[in-house]
Amino acid sequence: MTTSNQIPVAEGLFAETADGPRLLGSKCATCETPYFPKAAICHNPNCSDSKLEDAEFGPNGTLWSYTVQYYPPPPPAKYDEPFEPYALGLIDLPEGLRVLSKVTADDIEAIEVGGNVQLVIEKLHTNADGNEVVTFKFRQS
Amino acid sequence: MRDVAVLGVGMHPWGKFEDKSITDLSREAVEAALRDAGIAWPEIEAVSAASSRFSGGKGWGLNGNDIVEEMGSNGVPVYNLSAGCAAGGNALNIGYTLVASGLYDRVLVFGAEKMPKGMIQTSGVEEETDPEYLRQISVGMPGPAFWGMLCTQRMDEYGTTEEQLARIAVKAHENAVHNENARFRQKFTLEDVLNSKMVSYPLRLYEICPISDGAAAVVLCSAEVARKHTTRPVWLASSTVATYRYDDGIPRGLASVVPKGRTLHSEAKLAVSKAFDDAGVGPKDVSLVELQDNTVYYELAFPEEWGLCEPGEAESLVEKGETTPVGSMPINPSGGFLSFGEATTAMGVFQICELAWQLRGEAGERQVPNAKVGLAQTLGLGGNGTAAILKR
Ligand SMILES: [Zn+2]
Repeated sequence: MTTSNQIPVAEGLFAETADGPRLLGSKCATCETPYFPKAAICHNPNCSDSKLEDAEFGPNGTLWSYTVQYYPPPPPAKYDEPFEPYALGLIDLPEGLRVLSKVTADDIEAIEVGGNVQLVIEKLHTNADGNEVVTFKFRQS
Repeated sequence: MRDVAVLGVGMHPWGKFEDKSITDLSREAVEAALRDAGIAWPEIEAVSAASSRFSGGKGWGLNGNDIVEEMGSNGVPVYNLSAGCAAGGNALNIGYTLVASGLYDRVLVFGAEKMPKGMIQTSGVEEETDPEYLRQISVGMPGPAFWGMLCTQRMDEYGTTEEQLARIAVKAHENAVHNENARFRQKFTLEDVLNSKMVSYPLRLYEICPISDGAAAVVLCSAEVARKHTTRPVWLASSTVATYRYDDGIPRGLASVVPKGRTLHSEAKLAVSKAFDDAGVGPKDVSLVELQDNTVYYELAFPEEWGLCEPGEAESLVEKGETTPVGSMPINPSGGFLSFGEATTAMGVFQICELAWQLRGEAGERQVPNAKVGLAQTLGLGGNGTAAILKR
């Protein structure tokens, strides 16, 4: 749940809806190409008529692949000290979208290609004011 | 279009050079290329330079202007090209085009870098409207993590082992032992590589290129000029540039569409395919490849994407030694960027130097026997790809 001291890492990327967390993107009504984050115009070169509508994606996806990052990312990425290795993955969503995301699991060493993952909104780091900055992640169950 | 020859090539060794400026590195590479070509600076009619984001160029990537000032400002036209790690390939392509079109007879192409310390930060703009900034703050993805994800998928699909990955790094360093311009010239054992620290699973420290300072330069000329200087010219049979297709399945930002077919580095594939077509050769004609091995993964993925081998076959070719200079599919006899480190924008020019030395038979202990056709390829941030074919 989002509380008053949680701050999204960026506006308009994700939201906690009545049905749970969702990624906020768009979809072209003409060619059905999905976009995340929101796009202003359809990027499909074969699309005859760009008609982008707001779309929500998630929560379920399949892990196309992943890595475990053992070194801190360079700026502008932020993380809490001491740095802990984290997993990153490419998640295929049923809407035809492949999303880059952090991946969480009880044991990141046990993450598997092809595994089922669910969208969550979780802490990324604590900022200088002591507030939790949150981002979207996919959790492997 | 006219035939284009590689008249001269030159390189400054790659490594860390605290006491030299980027202009020092550039000048030494350019002087070496001019010497090799047998021409003097005033004969150069145009300059095509890779733009560095990191050093020199007056902060605007005007690295071509820097070298013209250094060599002697004489009003020569300058083109500064920016395409991330593909910038050297882009600069080569403009040089090629200027000679092939008949506009100029002698063109200098060069790329040079003095790289910052540590991992490269991709976005310089701190605004959420900048997609690269958004990607880095919301997810945080260093370059090696991107390669790690692609490599994990390959391991899952083909059963690639960590030992096979390490073997590619061992091969790179065996080649670099014989290259005086390489940064790391010692042999690495399989154990050395497998014991190096895990950076981005499954990729270890020695399986990822470090960053280096370095420079490379090439003099291109028309056939008429080439024949005045040599009886055995090396030809730049084709030079191509491409960008990625939106549906290739590799997210350049936070997402892409799930591809209909296989996931593919489409910018590289498009550039290489066109380079084959333009040169009138096919994958089976290639004697050797200098490909952009930022990581060992690319030595497995690229050959099959370009038709040099069957899908999933690269691992066994590596194990059988077929990617060594004396194998059936020599890859990066120079030692590659695993041994040189990446001096990002110089890489596309570096490759042309190595191919020219190989095709002339001047590569010494790392010589590919009877090298006739060489393929060069770069890949840059933003979905930039380049390729070139050199022929003897
Ligand atoms: Zn569309």
